[in-house]
Amino acid sequence: MEARTKKHRLTTRTGSAFSVPDALLVDRTRGEGYACVTLGGIPDAQTARPGQFLMIRRLGSSALPRAFSVLDAEDDRIELFLKLDGLLRELLGSVPLGTRFELRGPYGVPYEDRVELHRRYILVGGGSGAAPLLFLQQRRPDLVAAIVLGFRHGGATGLLPAFDLVVESTAGKQAHERLGEVWRPGVGIIACGPEAMLRAIARQYAAEPGIYVSLEARLGCGIGSCLGCSIPTTNGRRRICRDGPLFACSELPWLR
Amino acid sequence: MAAVTRQRAPFPFATPIVLASGPAGFGFELEEALDLAAVGALTTKTVTPRPRPGNPQPRLVDCSSGLLNSIGLENPGFDEFVERYLPCVLRLATRRIVSLAAGHPEEMGRMASALSVVRGIDGLELNLSCPNVDDVVTGSDPALVDGFVRAVRSATSAPLFVKLPGDTDRVIASAEAALLAGAEGLTLINSVRGLRIDHRMGRPMLHRVTGGLSGPSILPIALARVYEARHAFPDAFIIGTGGVTDVASLIEMLAAGADVVGIGYGIMADPTLPASLARGLEAWLGKQRLESVDEVIGAAHRGGFSVP
Repeated sequence: MEARTKKHRLTTRTGSAFSVPDALLVDRTRGEGYACVTLGGIPDAQTARPGQFLMIRRLGSSALPRAFSVLDAEDDRIELFLKLDGLLRELLGSVPLGTRFELRGPYGVPYEDRVELHRRYILVGGGSGAAPLLFLQQRRPDLVAAIVLGFRHGGATGLLPAFDLVVESTAGKQAHERLGEVWRPGVGIIACGPEAMLRAIARQYAAEPGIYVSLEARLGCGIGSCLGCSIPTTNGRRRICRDGPLFACSELPWLR
Repeated sequence: MAAVTRQRAPFPFATPIVLASGPAGFGFELEEALDLAAVGALTTKTVTPRPRPGNPQPRLVDCSSGLLNSIGLENPGFDEFVERYLPCVLRLATRRIVSLAAGHPEEMGRMASALSVVRGIDGLELNLSCPNVDDVVTGSDPALVDGFVRAVRSATSAPLFVKLPGDTDRVIASAEAALLAGAEGLTLINSVRGLRIDHRMGRPMLHRVTGGLSGPSILPIALARVYEARHAFPDAFIIGTGGVTDVASLIEMLAAGADVVGIGYGIMADPTLPASLARGLEAWLGKQRLESVDEVIGAAHRGGFSVP
């Protein structure tokens, strides 16, 4: 049984969510294994903030929607950066422009509402984990000391602005190793990517202040009611979809 | 909404849509997305005597046409529920059913007794069928069902709904035990125990190995249990739950004999689904020139609808 938990506000998210039954696939750029996908016809698209995600499914489907981090949001359009694996992601990467998708969100606590704003951060992304970090860099460059993005293969590099891209297959090193070369004491870290990468960072920087990781899980409802994404933290149980996705490393001893 | 069935209902349901225990949490997150006036009642997440952290991640795995979950009855425990969550539940703009589970009948009775003095709780659902925990009894044993229901019945006059598993051949015997012990209704069915294995790794995909399957894939199982229960117990109030995600499956569940229909998986897929189902049913009744949903309930036992 879990230890006595600290009191936790029952509602943590601010702002309002929208639900769009027929968002339109308006643009797409494909690289090998990855794609940038733009959905349009979303009246309140610009309310999405870095770190937030959308729940998306094919129009008319009875399947559970999938969560996608926002790469950019402007006017009535939202851009996503996704790895082309899994049914829905492959669909988003292959169906004709003009195809409609059901979408709701944005959900989750924006990164800038979770981190200490007096600090600058190195943003470390692995694979499609680059999306929310690039969005944060665009909206809050004042918070960003550097960006390191890692990919297994070179397929995504042409799709993204040329920050500090680490391509494992050519550079022979991983994003968190490159991080070790640029990190200086006092600088924070915001990491989003595969769990192995997050673990490596959590282990190495456990004692440092300002270290944050963006977590991922199969989400059920996306709004905090089903507890499908509930995890233990030092502050009691938390939901990735509603209390996260960003958590301080210090809250997650199990990640180290 | 055309008049909802009233004969067997222990309290009035504004619509025949009920939010099933689990995915709706304690209602207040969902309330941001869904107008709760569109549903007949909300069933809370199951509350247990002591806090439960639930099962480790991963807790959810996709299946074709459904979802395997292994939440494990995560909840704050009865005391914290009463102190912090119940006041929020009582403010919800719908009828409220509190779902309870316990390892022993006396514990269940104590919780029911404590809630019996709270105004605004419209009913209790006894979860005797969670597939995701070890220490909570399953409803597949009629003698145990009898013990739990008696303990609660003697502690409260609130309407009692007993939630039973769908994957046992003893549902009817358990249902009979529940009704004889004083329950007003049956909730049929809980999610169905299932397993997925990662074919690349050869390992179970859920941390706890097995989970409860919900969604469209269990609709036929739920329909069969509801149909059998309606046949066996013409006077029992039945909340039919399992795989309803559209108006067609909603009508199927009513026709099988459900008085009201629980939505679980469907809320996760689309939190606004209960409202669109209520509207869709209303439109369908009008189109069929059916006076009320009463003409739909149990129609499969009477040779179908009396459609002009």
